[in-house]
Order: sequence, then structure tokens, then C-alpha cells
Amino acid sequence: MIKKIFSFTLILNLLIFSCSSDSDDNSSEVWEQKSEMLTNWADNFIIPSYTTLTNNLVLLEESGNTFASSRNQQNLENLRNSFINAYLSWQYVEMFDIGLAEETYYKSKMNIYPTTVSRIELNIQNGNTDFNNSNNYAAQGFPALDYLLYGIENSDELILSKFNNEPQYLIYLSNVINQMLQNTYPIVEDWQNYRNPFIGSVRNTATSSVNKMTNDFIYYYEKGFRANKFGIPAGVFSGGALPEKVEAFYNQNISKALALEGFQAIKNFYNGNGGVSLRQYISEVSTEEYSELSTDILDQFNIAENLINGLDENFYNQILTNNIKVLETYDAIQQGTILLKTDMLSVLQIPTDYVDADGD
Amino acid sequence: MNSKIKNYINSYTNASPLAVFRIGFGLMMLYSMIRFWNKGWINTLYIEPKFHFKYYGFEWVRELGDYTYLLFVLCIISSIFITIGYKYRLSIILFFLSFTYIELIDKTTYLNHYYFISILSFLMIFLPANAYFSIDNNFKKRSYKEIPKWSIDCIKLLLSIVYFYSGLAKINTDWLLNAMPLKLWLPSKYDLPLIGETFMQQEWVHYFMSWGGMLYDLSIPFLLLYKKTRIIGFVLVIFFHLFTGVLFPIGMFPYIMIVGSLIFFDYNVHLKIIKYIKKIVEPIKKYFKIEENIKDEKITIKNRRIVLSIISIFFVIQLFLPFRYLLYPSELFWSEEGYRFSWRVMLVEKIGYTTFKIKSKNSESYFYVNNEEFLTSFQEKQMSFQPDFILEYAHYLGDYYTSKGYGGVEVYAESYVSLNGRTNKRFINSEVDLYKKKESFKNKKWIIPIDDEIKGF
Repeated sequence: MIKKIFSFTLILNLLIFSCSSDSDDNSSEVWEQKSEMLTNWADNFIIPSYTTLTNNLVLLEESGNTFASSRNQQNLENLRNSFINAYLSWQYVEMFDIGLAEETYYKSKMNIYPTTVSRIELNIQNGNTDFNNSNNYAAQGFPALDYLLYGIENSDELILSKFNNEPQYLIYLSNVINQMLQNTYPIVEDWQNYRNPFIGSVRNTATSSVNKMTNDFIYYYEKGFRANKFGIPAGVFSGGALPEKVEAFYNQNISKALALEGFQAIKNFYNGNGGVSLRQYISEVSTEEYSELSTDILDQFNIAENLINGLDENFYNQILTNNIKVLETYDAIQQGTILLKTDMLSVLQIPTDYVDADGD
Repeated sequence: MNSKIKNYINSYTNASPLAVFRIGFGLMMLYSMIRFWNKGWINTLYIEPKFHFKYYGFEWVRELGDYTYLLFVLCIISSIFITIGYKYRLSIILFFLSFTYIELIDKTTYLNHYYFISILSFLMIFLPANAYFSIDNNFKKRSYKEIPKWSIDCIKLLLSIVYFYSGLAKINTDWLLNAMPLKLWLPSKYDLPLIGETFMQQEWVHYFMSWGGMLYDLSIPFLLLYKKTRIIGFVLVIFFHLFTGVLFPIGMFPYIMIVGSLIFFDYNVHLKIIKYIKKIVEPIKKYFKIEENIKDEKITIKNRRIVLSIISIFFVIQLFLPFRYLLYPSELFWSEEGYRFSWRVMLVEKIGYTTFKIKSKNSESYFYVNNEEFLTSFQEKQMSFQPDFILEYAHYLGDYYTSKGYGGVEVYAESYVSLNGRTNKRFINSEVDLYKKKESFKNKKWIIPIDDEIKGF
């Protein structure tokens, strides 16, 4: 009899499942919208951002070569400009910690700051550097270039003479630039193949593109942007300000420009720039209570951006002279984190914790 | 004593339903434990975390590091022994102790169904589940065809409480009038074949499933108890549990409940099941030269008075414990005072974001804690919306920074929670130094009221 009951129930289940497929109601809307969102992310955000970064890195390499062959003030300036351009375009890439980038710890190799000066000096003296060794993550990428181009001596004159007199610095400089390209090329190439599986991974699972990318976005907002660029140097996590932890510490004048660029990347990604992204998706699925959520988030972004605009170009100086303003800015960014991590996740029903365990 | 009750206590029934239940329970537990191990959860949930959240009153429970595996081995071996009915009493006691100890290590993993397993195995200590069709029969050269009726009924009662109370809990305005949280959860199942893009997106389905779930939970015990409706009841049990098993990540729970519900069937059904099992184990029996049951008689329960008293107290507690929330003035779903151990299953969608500010009397400045330094992401998630977790973690942080040499440490929480589709609200009074607040059963005044009312049970 038990057997009969089981088979009866099975049939009942099947009946219900098949009935539902007959229902003529608007089919596959959610699926399509998520597909559209992923396509937009891949084609209008991820791949173009990588292309711009790669182009700027190639220019950086060229300026590096020019500088290596002729080490004068003019070429140093050119090299520095290429560095700044590449660093600005990096701000659009850092949040895409997915696919090969994630597997190869790309983000860590490109932008861990503050850079470990002692490690850089050690590598320079030893001559031979394994850039894939995790101990060297903080001795390469943009922060290492920042040190090499602005920080190895106190004045441009001394920096130039150091590069002239100690060729190992020049070698390390070109190795770091070369390594950044070597880190980037495979990922750019991989996206040619990865694009289709990426946009096809629409399901609501821990490893689907939608969920991973949304979590990457929140993670970048909370850690890469909020904590690294503001919270940590302003002393939010330490009790005392740590201005030497600002991004691009050795050329402090670009710290604000980098942060604003990073925020632009966040806003663009959220807004979708004409395509479907999180903003459209939130307003689509939100309930009555959340009808304002998608604009609330944007408003909060704008409040924070205004406060960032009010800061000194040089975050190091800003922290030393008036850290309260940085802390206020941090608080406004933090309000955005709350919206993203409670309301947005509640509406999107995307889990944050990937320690899988049963629920009830 | 009332003669009706006396009669009832002295009445006997066929032992097979309890024997089948014992086997089903043992196998389910065996599989659950191996599954848990296989998924690597022993490590990620019990060994990896630096810090474990303890149940109030069980702070003394120590984590065992790598020895946690031994605890699981003990659980697995006792499950096997329970299944075959070998040294049943000792095995079920060991199972209860080891399983419950595992649960007590960290309340982050609390699930109603783990609690159910704990109390069920406790109850089973006092039941003659090895009276029939067990290895113990062969060793004692005794098999009992008849056992007291109450020993089967009390499992039915426990199962009925689980269903009925979880149905009662669904009678609230969020669940019935707003279809919350199903209105949030079901649309996110858009990736289910056939029904994902269609049914799951429909508002009427959210309401239908809310009301249906409530009515189902309330009526299942009665459908299963009455002979005429039993089959339809069991069909519903299978359908409902398999369906929710597809929808939600609830692990073994659906299967445990399906197998458990078999106990409501007449003993004839169970005799057939036993016959079937006998066929399967025939070769093993021959190999080990296990003899058939020796003597058939009614079992006499030793220390019957004590056993019955314990079971009575057990059920009185079970009946009243879920209502303890009435003693608190706060909104149950928001503050969760008296929320656990009450069969409130899948009732709330709660997401929190909680960070901690550390102040030291020695200096003007303060700083925020990076939760990742101390908690796993699972712990952080659970901590962020449950006040007792927040308080316990605040004390841990207070102790930690005191030991680091900070003097006069104060700990403040910046906490925001969104509940059942409401926009986030501040959860904990950020002016209150949590390091000075002690955990107790008293109302936690430092929880900021939700400013909204959810009416119902």
C-alpha cells in the first residue's frame, strides 16, 4: 500500500508540475531580465573596462621603455601620466573579481596597498622576483609603481639619479609593468570564452554569475571602496588615523581622483548605463514597501559623492588636517552599505554567505 | 487515578510500529550524519570558527577541535546500533548525548529539526523500541510482540505537536495577510523547471501557499490520526515535504518527517514492512546464524512510574515552552525573545547588518571591528539579526580587547535589520554599552522596538 501511495503522490506531483507549464501567463520574464542584466554587465562593463585598462597598460609599458632608454624629467613625467591613466582605468576593473581574475588573485596582484617597501627593496637587491608568490602581492601592481615613480627618493632629481645610478631599480620598474600586463592578458583573453557561460549562468545558486557578481559588487563597495579608500586610512578600524594607508600614498595628489573614479564605476554598474542592471532589477521585483529602494540607493550614492567632492585632492593631507570630514564621508558611504546589505539583498534574495548549511 | 487513564496506561498494542520507527530513525540519522560529514560541515561549522555562539546556560560546552569527528563517529555508530536494535538503550542514550552535544557547541547552526531530533531521541530513551525485531531480542532470548500503547502514542503526540504548533505559528498577519516571507522567497525560485517562471511569480500562489501551508500544518495531525483520512493525510505529507524540499535548502528534514509519519499507520502496515525487511536481511541472518525470536510476550516496563512521570513532564514542557514568548512585551519576530524551540519554521525573512564600535576609557577615540577577523560569514550572517548573538559577540569582543590591554572597554552595536520585506530599521540601541549588559531571560530593553505590529500566535 505504501508503494501505491508513493506512486500516487508522484503522479500528483507530476500533474501539478505539468499543469503549471500550461499556464499561459507571462513566461520566463525573470530569467530573461537576468540574462539581459548579465549580458549588459559583460558587454558594456566588464569587457570594455578590461580593454581600456589593457590599452592604458600598453601605453604605460611604452612610456616605461622610453624612460628606460632615456631617463630624463620629461620622460619621467610622461611615465607618471601613463601610470595615473592606467590607475584610473583600474578603478573600473577592481570589482570584477570573477572567473580567471578570481582564480589568479588578480585583484591582489594589482592593487594591495600600502605596498610593502621592504619587500620591494629586497626584490630589487635579489634581482629575481617570483611575482606569483603571495608574499610579493604587495610588492607589485599599482602601489609598487606608485612607490617606484614617486617614493624611492624625496625629489625628482634624486629619483632620476637613482634610476641612473642603480639600474636594478629600472629593471624592477619594467618587470612590475610587464607583470601587470602578463596578469591582465590571460584574463582579457579568457573573457572571449568566458562571456557565454557567464551570461548563461542565470540561476539562483551560490556559484551563478548573477549571485557572484552581485556579491562582488557589494564586496567591492564595502571593502575595496569604503574600507580601503576611506575607512582604514581615516582610522575607522584602528582608533587612530593611518594616513599612510591612503591609495597612491607616494603621489598623494591623486587619492581623491582615484576614489571618485571608483565611485563612478560603482554608480555606473548599479545604474546599468542604459541597460538592465541592479537598479532596474530592484525596482522590478520590489514589493510595496521597497518601491523607493532603487532610488534611495542612488540618492545615498549621490550624498556620499558630494561629500567626497568636498574633500582635499590629497587624502593624506585631508586626514592630517581635518579627519572629521573624512569620517563624515565614510559614514555617508556606510549608509549605502546598509541599504545594499539589508534591503537590496532582501529584495533580490541573493544569499551572502557561501558556507552552505541546511536551513529550516 | 482516573480509571480511564489507568486503563489506557495498561493497554497494550502490537510492537511493530515502534520497531519500524526505530529502524527508520536509525537509518535517517545514519544517513544524515554521513551526509553532514561528507559535505565538510564538521570542519566549516564546528572546527574552523575561532569563536562559537553558546546557548544561554550551556556556556560550559567546549568545542572539541579535531575530536569533533570522534563525536560524529559516536553518533554514527549509535545510529547503526539503534537501527539493528543492538544494545538499544545504551545506543539511544549515546546518540542523544553526542547529537545534543554537537548542537550545543554552536547555536549558529540551530534548526528546529535538529532540536526535534534531540528531543525525539531523548524521548526514545524511555521507549521499548527494541522490544521487537531487534538484535537485542536474540541476545536476551526474548522478543515482545506487545508493548504499552502509550509508548507509540507519545511519538505520535510529539509529531502532532510539531505540525500543529508550526501551523499555529503561521497564523499571523505577515504570513496570512501579506504572504510574507513567501512573497519574497518564491519569486527567487525562478530557476525551477516549469513552475519557476510561472507559478512562483504569481501573487495568488504566494497567498495560496501561505494559507495552504498553515491549514496543512494544523490539519495533518488529525488527518493522520483518523483512520478514514490517514491515507490522504500521508499523501499530503509526502507531497508537501517533497515540494518544500525542492523549494528550500532544508536538507534531511522532509525525509525524516515522511518516514516518521509512518508511525500513524496500523500495525498491519508495519508488519508488512518488517516482513519486507526480513526478506532483505535473510542472507545476513543466515550468515551470522541469528535465531528467530524466542519468546513472545507482553513487555513490562521497568520503573514504569518514573518513566511515565518523565514523559509527562516532557510533554508539559513541550506544550508550554512555545508560548513563553507571551511573557515578553516585545514583537516576537523582531526581538526573537522566546522564538527558538517553538516550531517556528520558515516564518521570517530577516537580514541584518551589524558592526561594533569599541571605545576605551583610556582614550577619546574609538574604532570599528572587522567581523571577518572573528566570525565565519555564516556566523556573521546569523549574528547580525539575533539579539542574543549580538550580546554574546559584544562580550567576546569586550573580553578580547580587554586582554589586548585596552582599559575600560565599551562595546556598542550599529545594527540594522530588515524583516519580512520591511525597509531596514535600527535594531540595537547604539547608545548602550553592551559589554555591561548581561544575558538573561529578562526582556532586552536595548532592542529598539520595530514600531509595527505583527498580530497572531
